Amino acid sequence: MAETRDVVMIGGGHNGLVTAFYLAKAGFKPLVLERRRQVGGAAVTEEFSPGFRCSTLAHSAGPLLPEVVRDMQLERHGLKLVNPEIGVTALSPDGRALRLYNDVRKAAQEVAAFSQKDAAQYPVLQESLSKIGGVIGEALKLTPPDIDHPNRADLWSMLQTGRSLRKLGKKDMYRLLRWGPMAVADLVAEFFETELLRAVVAARGIFGTSLGPWSAGSSLVLLIRAAGDSHPAGSAAFAIGGAGAVTQAMAAAAQAAGAEIRTNADVKEVRVKDGRATAVVLAGGEEIGAKAIISNADPRRTLLKLVDPTHLTPDFVMKLRNYRMSGTVAKVNFALAGLPKFTALSEAGDRALEGRIHIGPEIDYLERAFDESKYGNFSPHPYLELTIPSLTDPSLAPAGKHVMSVYVQYAPFKLKSGGWDSQRDALGNTVVTTLSQYAPNLPGLVEDAQIITPKDLEDKYGLTDGHIFHGELALDQFFTMRPLLDWARYKTPVQNLYLCGSGTHPGAGLTGGSGANAAREILKELRH
Amino acid sequence: MASNKYDVIVIGGGHNGLTNAAYLARAGKKVLVLERRHVLGGAAVTEEVFPGFKFSVCSYVVSLLRPEIIRDLDLPRHGLEVLPLDGTFTPMPSGDYLWRVNDHGKTRREIARHSKLDAEAYEEFGKAMQAMCRFVKPILSMVPPDPSTLNPRELMKLLFLGKRFQGLASEDKYNQVQLMTMSAIDFLDQWFETDVLKATMSASGIIGTFLGVRSPGTAYVLLHHYMGEIDGAFRSWGFARGGTGAISNAIADAARELGAEIRTQSPIAKIIVKNGRAQGVALQNGDEFYADVISSSVDPRLTFLKFIEEAQLPGEFLEDVRRYKFRGSSGKVNIALDALPDFKCLPGPGAHLRGAISISPSVEYMERAYDDAKYGNFSRRPYIDMVIPSLTDPSVAPPGKHVMSCFVQYAPYKLRPGLNWDEQREAFGNNVINTISEYAPNLKDIIINKQVLTPLDLEREFGLSEGNIFQGELSLEQLFFLRPVPGYAQFRTPIKNLYMCGSATHPGGGIMGAPGRLAALEILKDVKASPQRANQRAPKVQEAG
Repeated sequence: MAETRDVVMIGGGHNGLVTAFYLAKAGFKPLVLERRRQVGGAAVTEEFSPGFRCSTLAHSAGPLLPEVVRDMQLERHGLKLVNPEIGVTALSPDGRALRLYNDVRKAAQEVAAFSQKDAAQYPVLQESLSKIGGVIGEALKLTPPDIDHPNRADLWSMLQTGRSLRKLGKKDMYRLLRWGPMAVADLVAEFFETELLRAVVAARGIFGTSLGPWSAGSSLVLLIRAAGDSHPAGSAAFAIGGAGAVTQAMAAAAQAAGAEIRTNADVKEVRVKDGRATAVVLAGGEEIGAKAIISNADPRRTLLKLVDPTHLTPDFVMKLRNYRMSGTVAKVNFALAGLPKFTALSEAGDRALEGRIHIGPEIDYLERAFDESKYGNFSPHPYLELTIPSLTDPSLAPAGKHVMSVYVQYAPFKLKSGGWDSQRDALGNTVVTTLSQYAPNLPGLVEDAQIITPKDLEDKYGLTDGHIFHGELALDQFFTMRPLLDWARYKTPVQNLYLCGSGTHPGAGLTGGSGANAAREILKELRH
Repeated sequence: MASNKYDVIVIGGGHNGLTNAAYLARAGKKVLVLERRHVLGGAAVTEEVFPGFKFSVCSYVVSLLRPEIIRDLDLPRHGLEVLPLDGTFTPMPSGDYLWRVNDHGKTRREIARHSKLDAEAYEEFGKAMQAMCRFVKPILSMVPPDPSTLNPRELMKLLFLGKRFQGLASEDKYNQVQLMTMSAIDFLDQWFETDVLKATMSASGIIGTFLGVRSPGTAYVLLHHYMGEIDGAFRSWGFARGGTGAISNAIADAARELGAEIRTQSPIAKIIVKNGRAQGVALQNGDEFYADVISSSVDPRLTFLKFIEEAQLPGEFLEDVRRYKFRGSSGKVNIALDALPDFKCLPGPGAHLRGAISISPSVEYMERAYDDAKYGNFSRRPYIDMVIPSLTDPSVAPPGKHVMSCFVQYAPYKLRPGLNWDEQREAFGNNVINTISEYAPNLKDIIINKQVLTPLDLEREFGLSEGNIFQGELSLEQLFFLRPVPGYAQFRTPIKNLYMCGSATHPGGGIMGAPGRLAALEILKDVKASPQRANQRAPKVQEAG
């Protein structure tokens, strides 16, 4: 066996880099093995068409955990974030635009153009979200307790959360209890009467999930996201240089702390000897021994593919197979000859173009988009979220040209008929058609398009079943149940093998939360 | 004037109101029950809709009636007799069918026809569900804690739950959290591969809710219905001889024997509230009755928004009551038959007609039925649960003839703009007949008469707001300490001496009687038994669980 390291990290996604950084900072020498030619996982910037670069998958950064940004000194390592003052703009087909400024007062003024009542309610919801989000934020930083044998630390941290839960006061505490399992469509209806506003806020409860706004539990997803950003519809944060710049800065920080990174290093197997992970084997056959092996890959890939399942109990394997992670999101990246002209927005210079643009004007529109996916079809009228990063970062496109990054939902990983390869162009056309209702000149501007289907997400980016969050965000896969009940503590049934990706608590988005939690737990293990 | 002065007035003579009255009378209270209609029972009622044909007009099977109530009120002596309803028969468009019965061997062989794996899993599943029921059952007989106080008694309850959960084997913990959070289909997908089996089993997860079989939270409702028990046997449904009205009548009989006074055709106009205290009720005919305690078995919308002036209630409470979700999603079609329906996939009469007949051929069928409802249409092809009680209890139909009761979902109370139920009633009824005819083509020829109940009819006839048969959605945010509204899950209300005792309170709908009983026990905690009747008082009732 060639070499032996103290810690090997499988995969250089953002959570893997965060974990690697904290381990290196603690004096270990983690070796990060990334399959692709650059680190970043789903947070990468790539040239998808000659001269056109963009965040091929995740297109907005974060909200990154402040402590992660601080500890890793990401600014010092080159991260520049921009926060457009108009975080989100929702467009309606009849040519109206709802501009949601990050400044709650300005946002309320915009809402007032639609409904005075809603304008008054908007700050109320934000207030409640920031209070409730605060409590959830604490829970997101916890290591889920051991259900069967909670230790003192577990009980203490639970007590703390219980305390802050009470600090919420009766009203918000009951809201948290009531909202958690509720349909987000009901939640927004409790506050707003304007359909466009309802829809753009509700979208936050369904993004990246196989839930519709009428699905119970979609409110929880909204609340989890509110923990990092209490704007009802969320705000926008972009990294200069695209999402890849975030992970590049993380990589730099990890290396500066003493981590080693190897790209084009495709881990094919985790060697297990009598219940202990001993080494990883690369595609070339090279074997690297390690005292501890951490996987940034999703739980299924790690334990059912890289590990030979015969090392696991049939019961555990069965449960992991039942772990719900069927993707619903596709991504289309456009190379544009010029700036699209949205009927609802003024020509160039409209600040709304710099933020996230939401397409999905009604709750029913979003729900119908979801309906199709239940039967294995992609939505004929999909819910879209788009950004035009070249406006805030001209370096991404040739002079005068632009890149537009578009999330497409719902695109179910398992199609009823035909594989995704045969459906790729149909999906692309559906997106262009949908967009052209809001920006009629778009079709003429398209020079090139990169269409990333859920299948591509699995093949190219290693996201099993194309799930961008390494598993459904839902009540039954949250906290002590992520990925599986009682396996939520970053350990696995295989000794010395750990998880640190989005398939662990808290999961969800480009926050670094899972990576930071995992590092804390793994350090405890490594130190005794 | 003593004649119109009582210890307790119970509003509504449904099975919960009657149960509530019986327990209070049993504790020596002078109780008056006021029922709006000419018959008792609320939604648990038998009516001779057509001469000679007696229907369990709304609720049509027994399964959840709490055994402690049957015991405490000695219901069998008062005429309650539960006849077995064996099995569920699910015809399929393919010409095949799935027929599950209580006989494990038979069911196992039947399921094996569809999938050997599922036949194995079915046994395991049954055991797992029983373990879950054992865990949840005490909760049905428990007054929900108030998580927002630091009152030790409340915290003990939470601790009790925590300890019980700790006590579960980790396998059961796993199932329990899934049941509380998952959709019926996601849950069943883990156990079974046969589509029709999953479809027909998932049906009990959506009954009476405005949720689809893929909506998270429906796994719990699945359990809720699984909890059915008669003589201790889990998941055994049954008919009451004489229809479900016989259950209400038995409870009423027990209540009367214990000294309760029951008046029908006494619709309430308002609850008399003076400086924050409920003091009595005024009937629509102007009569007034007074009592120390008013116990309302009707839903919160009627109790607080119709019978009480807003001014009497705190604003936030009113907000919560207005927000409380009813969303009736089902209708009922009661059919008088000249002969028995003949199913293509299993022709002729036979035992398969004696159980439940379920039109739930595939998961997609169930989910599409829900999709229609989401946008304000009744399902083009609805889920239908049929029973033919006259096969088991000939007393409900003329010799040789039959009654068939069809529970139909989805029928959304709020139809899309431009449609109203009075105009849609006929189309709705015909759609049900057509749907069943696809499986039993002779149906149209054997119909003597039919009664179609839309959600609007359920509201008008039976006082079920928005036609919700459970007096409010059984969705997670409206269960346990959140039912009906946060902070008022312990049967008390913001108004002194006014209590709730209907299905809108924990543990919710179905012919359980649990809300009525639990409310009575809470009321008795608040008011001491009147001494002059103490000698008649029955042995003290314990809070079960």
